Amino acid sequence: MKILSGSNNVLSNFKKSRYKLSSKTRQLSLLSITEANKLLREKKVSATTLVQDCLSRLKKYNAQVNAFIEIQKEEVILQKAREAENRINEGINNKLLDGIPIAYKDNFCTQDLTTTCGSNMLRNFTSPFNATVVELLQDAGSIIIGKTNMDEYGMGSANLYSAFGPVYNPHKIISDQESNIDKYEKRVAGGSSGGSAAAVASGMCFAALGSDTGGSVRLPASYCGVIGFKPSYGLCSRWGLITYANSFDTVGIITRTVDDSQLIFDIISKYDEKDSTSLSPKLRAFNSLISYNSPLNKNEPLDLSGLRVGVPKEYMVSELSEPIIKLWKKGISFLKSQGATIISVSCQNIKYALSTYYILAPAEASSNLARYDGIRYGHQSEKNLSQLINNNENTELLYANTRDEGFGIEVKRRIMLGTFTLTTGSYENYYLRAQKIRKLIQLDFNKIFRRQNPLQQYFQYFINQNNNNNSNNSFYKKEGVDVLITPVTISISPKISDYNNNNFLNFYVNDIFTIPANLVGIPAISIPFGKLHNYPIGLQLMSQYGDDLTLFKVAKTLEQI
Amino acid sequence: MFLLNKTKNNKNVLPSLFHLLHLSHKFSHQYTTITTTTTHPPNLIIDNKWEAIIGLEIHAQLSSKTKLFSNSSTSFQKPINTNVSVFDAAFPGVMPKLNSKCVDLAVATSLALSGNVQLISSFDRKQYFYPDLPAGYQITQHYEPLSIGGKIALSHLDGLEYETEVRIKQIQLEQDTGKSIYDIKPGFALIDLNRAGIGLMEIVTEPDIRSSKEAGLILRKLQNILRAVGSSDGNMEEGSLRCDVNVSVHQVGTPFGTRCEIKNLNSVKFLMEAIEVEIKRQINELRIGNRIIQETRGYDVVKNKTFRLRSKETDTDYRFMPEPDLPPLILTKEYLERILNASPELPDILKTRLINKYNISLKDVKALMGEEGGVEYFEKIVQYRNRNPKLVSNWITQDLYGFLNRKNIKFSKNPVSIEQLGSIIDCIEIGDISGNIGKQILAQMISGDTRLASVIIEEKGLKQINNITELETICQDIVMQNTENAKLVREGNQNVFKWFVGQVMRITKGKANPQIVNELLQKLLQ
Repeated sequence: MKILSGSNNVLSNFKKSRYKLSSKTRQLSLLSITEANKLLREKKVSATTLVQDCLSRLKKYNAQVNAFIEIQKEEVILQKAREAENRINEGINNKLLDGIPIAYKDNFCTQDLTTTCGSNMLRNFTSPFNATVVELLQDAGSIIIGKTNMDEYGMGSANLYSAFGPVYNPHKIISDQESNIDKYEKRVAGGSSGGSAAAVASGMCFAALGSDTGGSVRLPASYCGVIGFKPSYGLCSRWGLITYANSFDTVGIITRTVDDSQLIFDIISKYDEKDSTSLSPKLRAFNSLISYNSPLNKNEPLDLSGLRVGVPKEYMVSELSEPIIKLWKKGISFLKSQGATIISVSCQNIKYALSTYYILAPAEASSNLARYDGIRYGHQSEKNLSQLINNNENTELLYANTRDEGFGIEVKRRIMLGTFTLTTGSYENYYLRAQKIRKLIQLDFNKIFRRQNPLQQYFQYFINQNNNNNSNNSFYKKEGVDVLITPVTISISPKISDYNNNNFLNFYVNDIFTIPANLVGIPAISIPFGKLHNYPIGLQLMSQYGDDLTLFKVAKTLEQI
Repeated sequence: MFLLNKTKNNKNVLPSLFHLLHLSHKFSHQYTTITTTTTHPPNLIIDNKWEAIIGLEIHAQLSSKTKLFSNSSTSFQKPINTNVSVFDAAFPGVMPKLNSKCVDLAVATSLALSGNVQLISSFDRKQYFYPDLPAGYQITQHYEPLSIGGKIALSHLDGLEYETEVRIKQIQLEQDTGKSIYDIKPGFALIDLNRAGIGLMEIVTEPDIRSSKEAGLILRKLQNILRAVGSSDGNMEEGSLRCDVNVSVHQVGTPFGTRCEIKNLNSVKFLMEAIEVEIKRQINELRIGNRIIQETRGYDVVKNKTFRLRSKETDTDYRFMPEPDLPPLILTKEYLERILNASPELPDILKTRLINKYNISLKDVKALMGEEGGVEYFEKIVQYRNRNPKLVSNWITQDLYGFLNRKNIKFSKNPVSIEQLGSIIDCIEIGDISGNIGKQILAQMISGDTRLASVIIEEKGLKQINNITELETICQDIVMQNTENAKLVREGNQNVFKWFVGQVMRITKGKANPQIVNELLQKLLQ
């Protein structure tokens, strides 16, 4: 269904969608959730029409882009759409996401669809339970449209390491309304949540969940021209999100507007007792108290006066290309023009972030992936099975064959690396040192931000309260910044042909701007900000732990440009 | 809380909780108040030369209803693979959730062993591949255990001729593994995950043990403490208590020798036997000039021999790593006080208290403590009417236990109420019945009579004859009728005197007051 913009139709009253098309025509499935919701409520569009529009795009583009590993059965989707329609028509039990099609990265456990993690190991695996965030979004009325492609177990930044084939950047065929991607030199969608970013960018769904361990949501969002949000660690439950590296993994949100991102975030940012690293209700309340005392609280939406924006020196790395630096500067000037104060900041230890990440994350991964042994679920090797029987000693051979066949090259590489760093002798030299540096980087960031870290302030606050020395002023320092602005990536989406197996180390560099937020646990968002060579590119904002709302506020301003 | 604390090295800044242990008198040690002759350790040196150094590593299954990190039941007798959640089977996407009951039990145990409970402890992964270890790692507390230090003392109260103390190194919480079953289907390893993830306490002693006897007594004593605290049923046959032992020998005056670990000793008897033969083996090796190689050994019960399982070189590197899905376990002093106050009295303290307060023998105390609820039964009977403790403990440990034993009734199913046994003792005390009649009444109660002794006496007319005139007549009659025998008594034959007493009892159906009868007959037969 196509709607002409500018004519006297239902869309004329809407804020212009941030997703810009070169064409004058706009598609229903490229609206924001906020816009679609309004159409649905006003009964100008039915939920069935909405999902059918997504499905038709999915059919048209997925074969080109390879965004989905599994698509929900059409009759199931239409049935859910009718149920949502009935709820809307009856005006009862209206839910925030009634009838909105959503996709999930294939590392979120779902009972209805397989959950493969992009791996041969789990090619036919169906989880007996739903991830908590999947439950929350379903309860909000949304419809699962399918499971998106990804780098195997989340390990990769180009989405080339999937057992189900690479995801291709959909930008050109969408903007040119082409139907054959082979016309272009293929570029990567980014990873590891490449399928989620490509699906949202090409209008196959309204939002998608990804996971962000080292930039896996922000990077593909930047390459595909959508919003990629990584919340503060511990706000969204990881129960049912298949782990890559537990202390880094966060649920990530990919949408076409910042408002949509915030809407999804509001729904899934809930305490979950099943996740022991989920922020407790007490700490959430305390965090809100800090936000309530924010000096920026009285600002009107989009008014940035009083906002202090930091530009970290260390982000000016040699790999950064001139056009990206220009874009970065443009972003800085824009925020300044909106009333923000720009401050240069330094975060000394950030230069170690990449190495720290590539020691700690593989260590956790090597441990997490030990469970894939072919005994209880997933792939089991049939090689030499007759030999293995009658020889108890040979269970190790069964494991080796199973894991050799089930895991791809990058996963094996990281398991080996992680196993090495945890070995006696290396543990002290690598793992422990990396943990210490991680702590130092956390301290660096705490120094940079004006807002205090609620995790550190919590106990102090109650000690003060007991001493009747209750001062909320201590929540914000006099100095310090509210947000940091940086590039997300060192370049636009690279060509597939640039990648080969011998230069994999060079591609670890792609994560250089995104990894610090994961090391520290702070929120970060990638917002599309201009184009280079006709490919989108994003800027990144980061804020103090728990200050996700300020991030949204500034992102909404930046989104206007 | 989670992320930010994970890298902190808390080891050196942990507050000491020693002061807390003195908050309650419950655990303050009072052994010294017992008056015993101080004995010195006998010579534990073998052949004037060798000394054995022994340490234990004990795994005790926690008696919580659910597993350490999941809601699955820990019930022992469930069909195979039914107590298994997605977490226990290590499905993708699952996360551990610490069971607070397990923490309560382990903390109570630690306090009972005078351990220094850490306000901050953390969990780690111990990694190795094994079919009955679903995640490929066991969650344990390697770097920052729940409790550090502690001790178990042995003395004559435990059956040791001297006093000694064995220090506890640490106590940590960890997961149990599943079970691999090899003998049901040949060629296949069958896996039962019912046990996978049940909470264990790993209790490690310092190498302070010097003999197999000490080792056996330590294990027994620990068993009693665990049961008293209620943290584990300590059942070695069912595998809820498992023991590994480290043994080394050295010549006195030289550094400790190389140790060998003997795994999976599943009874106190086997533990002691294995230590004995391992000490002999090591001494023999050293005598003929061989070195002891550090290795893990098993114990063959049938051959009474230890044998090599694997050497140190082929040992797994466990690649310990902090568990990133669990924040540090933070306890407060208030919490520890609460656990301390809710803890039951410990065996040593109970023993000492019973001996001092009631002036009864160690043998009686052990007998009372040997049965679940025995001490409580005893104390209630004594306290209710201020009865003679010695008398009460005799009635319980000799007569009641004896009758129950003969009838094959467990003490926990004892049908004789506190009031009933008390009434028998009272009736004897006031002279209504003799001890023998008392035993008859007790037998009747065990057979199901729920009435008090006084009622039974009344109904059956068993009341003792205390009337001197009445008894004198009976005695006189008997002496008159048996002049021959009376003569014998007067000549000094005491056996015949007893015959006279028996005659009186026969006539009175045992109701005559034996003391009065004795006095009367003595007078008549002078």
